[in-house]
Amino acid sequence: MKEGDALKPVTREITQERIERYAVAAGDFNPIHIDADFASRSHFGRRIAHGMLVAATISEMMTLNYGQPWLRSGKLKLRLKAPVFPGDTVTARGQVKSAKEETGTRHVACVVEVVRPDGEVAITGEATVTAA
Amino acid sequence: MPVDYANLKPGQVVSQQACVLDAATVARYVEAVGDQTAAGPVLDAGGGARYVPAMTVAAISVRGVVNDLQIPGGTLHLGQEVEFTDAVKVGETLTCRATLAQNSVRGGQRILVVILAVEAGGSRTVMTGKSTIMVPP
Repeated sequence: MKEGDALKPVTREITQERIERYAVAAGDFNPIHIDADFASRSHFGRRIAHGMLVAATISEMMTLNYGQPWLRSGKLKLRLKAPVFPGDTVTARGQVKSAKEETGTRHVACVVEVVRPDGEVAITGEATVTAA
Repeated sequence: MPVDYANLKPGQVVSQQACVLDAATVARYVEAVGDQTAAGPVLDAGGGARYVPAMTVAAISVRGVVNDLQIPGGTLHLGQEVEFTDAVKVGETLTCRATLAQNSVRGGQRILVVILAVEAGGSRTVMTGKSTIMVPP
């Protein structure tokens, strides 16, 4: 992939069931994710997805696009900007910002983001990967 | 004993945990996030072995922080950095260490920055990272 190319995106529905499964898998039972009463009194007024659950779509996208080099050399720098709510279908997408070859090694940097159905960017950041 | 967040000092190790990324643990994670690459050839490690999706390692490392710091309800995750340095196979044992890098109060909200380091097999660094969280007052 070259500079300016779009990455193959990942789309995922973030259901409440998925959030509760993630709470168990990640051991994160923060009531803002799983307790409707608690969350109704929060700044957001309702339950929100774990940031790491939503961020996982970016890592999946990088694995899909770059394969095993992502597992060995992937770097992510993410800012979690806006919540994702149960029922939202989010899309992780990205674009190659730079692709450089140095002594047989290819360094790729991508701008990445996760977008909510209303168009708001939930997560933004940069991903880099090095491949032989 | 409850954690006194105001007294946490930069440099302090706030969590150190070991866990086995066994097949059941990985399956629970994959099912939760819905990672479509997990069953595909991209995570084939050869010889019948499988690699775990990279973010499994990050999620497990953050779990130690959540548990050992007794993160209170309403805490928000503001930022996350990760650097994967080696692939992890299903069945490997991870040691996750979290060290406080910053503890500050902004606008009445406490911001904690935690440095993450994950080793597999006791000596092979597989991930480093940084989590920024906002703890309610």
